[in-house]
Amino acid sequence: MKRSYIGIVILCFILFLNIIFTQSMVHQFFYENYVNTLIFMGLNLLLFPTAVIAYKKTIDVLE
Amino acid sequence: MSNKNNKIPFSEDNYTHNINRLNERKLDRRGFMKTLAGAAGVFAISSIPWGAVAAKELMGLGEKEYPHKKIADVDELPIGDAVEFKFPGAHDDAILIRLSENKYVAYQNACTHLRCPVYWVKDQGEMICPCHHGKFDVETGSPTAGPPRRPLPEIEIKVKDSAIYAVKVKRYEA
Ligand code: FES
Repeated sequence: MKRSYIGIVILCFILFLNIIFTQSMVHQFFYENYVNTLIFMGLNLLLFPTAVIAYKKTIDVLE
Repeated sequence: MSNKNNKIPFSEDNYTHNINRLNERKLDRRGFMKTLAGAAGVFAISSIPWGAVAAKELMGLGEKEYPHKKIADVDELPIGDAVEFKFPGAHDDAILIRLSENKYVAYQNACTHLRCPVYWVKDQGEMICPCHHGKFDVETGSPTAGPPRRPLPEIEIKVKDSAIYAVKVKRYEA
């Protein structure tokens, strides 16, 4: 009955992407590349449902 | 639980408080994953304002012309000197430098690293940020040393009737 840690790995990776996207977004904003800012915001927004799905799908996975 | 009673002391690692907390303070796998998903939500929500402002700029609302603002009279400012002024808003620090008879440059002087004010150092011919020794090229505003990576936003200048006016903040060339 050992739980699998795959969910944690996926969620950590999502957090990692979150950090990268946020930093790129802020940089692109100050560079006044506003389209890129919007793209990174979109990516950040998409990561949230992804994280929720990843949580739901992996929370009960057994090894 | 059941066989604790007749053994004194029973094997329990805390003698000072005998309330059994049932590990309620422990961050287990499920709690950790919930935290991570929540963090993703926080990231998502906090990136919305950036996108909103970017969208606003894209639709041209940020393009609005500010009223021309007089900075100084020409004869008040010797060659090689600088004055500080506010442009376009009352809290946006800017600096005007007179490089030669007819050459003026002006920048918003919040350092592009962490927004410390940037100073014009005349004898070195450089703009210097005292906070982390960032340096900027005075002709272009681009960073030459230190942590800043982005040029200072340039302000367009106009000279009319022997007075110097700030016209607008130039956009970066994409
Ligand atoms: S704030 Fe200017 S170098 Fe850090």
